[in-house]
Amino acid sequence: VDSKQGCKIDLVFSTQSYNQEEGEKHLGNCSAHVFFKNEKPRPAINITCTRSIEKKKRQEDDYLLYKQLKQLKNPLKAANIPDSHGHIDPSLRPIWDLAFLGSSYVMWEKTTPFLHYNLVRLTSVKQWKTNDTIDFDYTVLLHELPTQEIIPCRIRLVWYPGKPLKVKYQCQELQTLEESSGTVEGSAESTELSNI
Amino acid sequence: MQGTPRQGLGPRLPHMGKWTLLFCGCILAAAWGQMNFTGDQVLRILAKDEKQLSFLRDLEILKPQKVDFWRGPARPSLPVDMRIPFAELDDIKGYLESHGLAYTVMIKNVQVLLDAEREAMAKARRLERSASSFSYSSYHTLEEIYSWIDNFVTEHSDIVSKIHIGNSFENRSILILKFSTGGSNRPAIWIDTGIHSREWITHATGIWTARKIVSAYGKDSILTDILNTMDIFIDLVTNPDGFAFTHSMNRLWRKNKSSRPGTSCTGVDLNRNWKSGFGGNGSNSNPCSETYHGPSPQSEPEVAAIVDFITGHGNFKALISIHSYSQMLMYPYGHSMEPVSSQKELYRLAKKAVKALYKVHGINYIFGSISNTLYVASGVTVDWAYDSGIKYAFTFELRDTGRYGFLLPATQIIPTAQETWMAIRTIMQHTLNHPY
Repeated sequence: VDSKQGCKIDLVFSTQSYNQEEGEKHLGNCSAHVFFKNEKPRPAINITCTRSIEKKKRQEDDYLLYKQLKQLKNPLKAANIPDSHGHIDPSLRPIWDLAFLGSSYVMWEKTTPFLHYNLVRLTSVKQWKTNDTIDFDYTVLLHELPTQEIIPCRIRLVWYPGKPLKVKYQCQELQTLEESSGTVEGSAESTELSNI
Repeated sequence: MQGTPRQGLGPRLPHMGKWTLLFCGCILAAAWGQMNFTGDQVLRILAKDEKQLSFLRDLEILKPQKVDFWRGPARPSLPVDMRIPFAELDDIKGYLESHGLAYTVMIKNVQVLLDAEREAMAKARRLERSASSFSYSSYHTLEEIYSWIDNFVTEHSDIVSKIHIGNSFENRSILILKFSTGGSNRPAIWIDTGIHSREWITHATGIWTARKIVSAYGKDSILTDILNTMDIFIDLVTNPDGFAFTHSMNRLWRKNKSSRPGTSCTGVDLNRNWKSGFGGNGSNSNPCSETYHGPSPQSEPEVAAIVDFITGHGNFKALISIHSYSQMLMYPYGHSMEPVSSQKELYRLAKKAVKALYKVHGINYIFGSISNTLYVASGVTVDWAYDSGIKYAFTFELRDTGRYGFLLPATQIIPTAQETWMAIRTIMQHTLNHPY
């Protein structure tokens, strides 16, 4: 670690299906180079992965998710996912998955060499009625380590299969008395949700 | 329920004077004797500048009983949230308006939200109760756990007894279970769960473990040997006030519920309040912080009770403090990167315990000293234990690694408890075979 320049980390890891019901099937391998410049958040990431899911299957999975989300009671309003006992209603699972993806962008933007995050819970979900896109307003709670603080964030997420994910967010920091906010657009690569 | 965390107290419980004040003239809530917030509102104020902010701070001084800051006045750009009792609404709103403070009503009726949540919980519990009298694969309330303790002790009075070691800040009993097959002041093993109240999997694991101990005695030769020579003590709800709060108001509450003058923030991180490396970098001196170490070592009754008990006993040989989440097994130090003198032995034992754990359900744990494995943390339980002469001092971080975190699904309670048991058993066995 050269603190004048920043912090470099090289990673090698394997991926598996996010959907635990599908079992722990090994999906692929990735290697990544992560660079924090001057200990600032939003590290630069260079990543290459081998994929073992064909493009056609990925597109099918994406469209399936899209359909599931479109079929939900609209406009959907929900709160506290998971509940205090860690339970997520199966019908709300796609909401959680999507929120998880959106939150991962937020967490990436906030991560520094000293702070990292996990998503704790969706405190509220509101779906906007649209003709085509999937459009959600979430409030989430992030668990910040090592401070142990719980950070509330508002996230606005817009998605359409095949198009880059759009994430707008605003987080409130209770301790440092700062706000973090931003807009993130996913690359075409990373929006294929079936790969998470 | 409002999920947004706040620095303020929410409903205050501790001081008897405020209790009587609130109860008089209120409709008494049903069986639970909980406080009533009917008609109370939570207002959000955005102060435009320092001057407006100072009006809010004045409010805190002028009418301390009348406003309950959930998010106190800090900076002009940050919202200030405060709960106003129903009786004070006109008064306070008048004050805000006359000082040009714009506000919105965030919660129109606090009691309605509380009722809704309580109803949901009661519904969940009714389902549990129909399945069996006590479900080991569900999460429980404080009352249910204390009731289970009484039943458990009665059912297994030949081996188990209950000891009251002190009271929490809000005057709840701190109860520990003693497992003993006889003798007098035998070398002992300490296990605590729930020191951080939001880590619900730990209490659940502790309860399952208690039951496992009695059922394994006479069947599992290793456990039988252990219990024939040593005593085991389990503190199931190490932080009862915090735990009650995770059920009533804030599922993600971590600290205890002690309050102090000069701030509306409550709670001390009980795992930063021990007398070893106290106040160091791995803790926070800000009372509003989640890792606030408290005014002084052992200032918190929940910690003092344990210190007094263990010190008074004088013959503890192992201490296991259970947390979640991260899937780690660690030994001292947390406050320093320096290895302890028994580091080699603790490393090997941790390695063995983690291997035994892995064999159950294939779950991977990493292990090492706290400072090297997790982060620097000052004033932690195991550092104190080690410095007090308890060589086998370990701390667990149970499942998972962040996917559900504190909100671990109840379906994972039993698998988690099963694998953790194998690690605990390994540590206890080693302690038995290496007297000192």
